[in-house]
Amino acid sequence: MADETMVDQTPGREVKDADDPAVKEGRTMQYERRPEGAGDASAEGSIKGGGERTTREHVVGPVSEFPEGSHRVVDIGGRQIGVFNIRGSFHALPNICPHQTGPVCEAKRVVGTLLATEKTNWDPEWVKDGEVLVCPWHGLEYHIPTGQCLAFPNIKLRRYDVGVEDDQVIIRLSSRAKASK
Amino acid sequence: MAETVVTEAKRQRKEPLTDLLVVDLDVHLHESPGELAPYADAPWDVALEHIKDNHESYLDMPSFSPGVTDGSYQAKFPTAHEGARVVTDQKQMREELDELNVDLAILFPDHLLKLPVLTQAPYASAIARAYNAWMLDKWTSQERGLLGCIVADSHDPHDAAREIEKYADHPEVVGVYLPCAGIDPMWGHRMYDPIYQAAHDADLPVLLHSVTVTHPVFPFNNHGFDTELGRHACSHTFSIMANIVHMITTGVVVRYPNLRIGVTEAGLSWMPFLCNRLDKEYLERRREVPFLEERPSYYLKRQFWVSTQPVEEPEDMRDIVKLIELYDGEDRTVFASDWPHHDFDHPMKIDQIPFPTDEMRRKVFGENALELFRIDSAGRRANLR
Repeated sequence: MADETMVDQTPGREVKDADDPAVKEGRTMQYERRPEGAGDASAEGSIKGGGERTTREHVVGPVSEFPEGSHRVVDIGGRQIGVFNIRGSFHALPNICPHQTGPVCEAKRVVGTLLATEKTNWDPEWVKDGEVLVCPWHGLEYHIPTGQCLAFPNIKLRRYDVGVEDDQVIIRLSSRAKASK
Repeated sequence: MAETVVTEAKRQRKEPLTDLLVVDLDVHLHESPGELAPYADAPWDVALEHIKDNHESYLDMPSFSPGVTDGSYQAKFPTAHEGARVVTDQKQMREELDELNVDLAILFPDHLLKLPVLTQAPYASAIARAYNAWMLDKWTSQERGLLGCIVADSHDPHDAAREIEKYADHPEVVGVYLPCAGIDPMWGHRMYDPIYQAAHDADLPVLLHSVTVTHPVFPFNNHGFDTELGRHACSHTFSIMANIVHMITTGVVVRYPNLRIGVTEAGLSWMPFLCNRLDKEYLERRREVPFLEERPSYYLKRQFWVSTQPVEEPEDMRDIVKLIELYDGEDRTVFASDWPHHDFDHPMKIDQIPFPTDEMRRKVFGENALELFRIDSAGRRANLR
């Protein structure tokens, strides 16, 4: 029993994600509305500020270590990133829930979720199977491919640029050169 | 100009949580029949042994902790959120509380949250006594900042009063827990006066804590909901409100004017409602409560300490400051995490409340709790006789 609940046991976390302004300033998102795409890797170039932007590639392991349907958390220079393989597509999200800093990517398994619309006569149907991440702390759900929080439209996890090159899973992190350099 | 603002903000940077005294009003142990058996009186020690391998589902276990999530009435919606975290020993508890920056924790049970729904009075009293002995033997430690509430079994108030007298001067007992889930009659009934008298005499606060249970007594007859969201949203808070209304309208607060009453796991936003609603009713129906010398809200604000968890999370956390103002709660609001339960609050969330003063922040995180429990910042009781 203890083993089974291990991932759920981690209390109080101080995960540093230098690129997330919310974490940087010692607060997490208080449901502030972020501009469309602000959390996306694709939009990183548009973030204002001094210093030259550089992109570094980090090899996190061979593809064989990330089989379809699996996910795990990797550490890149102290930054914890959840890497997901959904039907052959790779996705990478920060392992920190903007709600109360929970280890969102340490969910034991990736699931689907329930949707009910007029089309289904308001009966719930199972959707997004294998694409939904549920934070082990308080159960907040996220759609992995988009980073979108299902409960709150204004919360979106940033997405890291992840891909495969020569059978290696690569994460590209861009950072700004320090002014002192 | 912009630079001046930045400097100002830096100067006013808050004392880090690690340096602040944090007292946590609500932390849960995980008792089990097998653990309690050696501490129980005959024949209940044997009865507990016999059920020790019963299937357990989080807070539910047949013959010990009847509930809803064991499949008795409902099935859970499919999810990957298990929410079944438990702490199994003192060392693990201390380590996890350290991670949460909690200095002093007040311990409550898991399964015994539902003690009132058991239908065998002698059995219920026996496991309350066993729990109290087990908790003090295995869990509490002033050095480790783990302080206990002994459980008062509602089935036999005289037995509960004897337990309070027995432990009145134990240095690690700081309160008396009154289980609220499924209780009938509610905690205002005069049959419970021996418990209040004993707590009053021992200068120990009583603490109300409910839990979600579907049970055919008000306000737990929540079978009308299709979802746990509905049941869970109402169960804790309605139970707390109902019990407090009863305690005020039967005069517990008048008969025991110095009794300190702590409230857990109901959030904060019902407090302004209850103050206003009771005062409104009082206009018309004062004659039903002729023992009250002031408006009901006077007693609510005087004798009740309210803990934050599950703290409301409005879009604008300044709303919480307003909320606390509405019940004059600067000296009566206390931090609680509810660790290790699925709906616990990390102190960082409470720290997002923009408290108007550092003093208020310190009060809510720790100092108000010291006042409620009459302890010092090292967890030593200041009221031992």
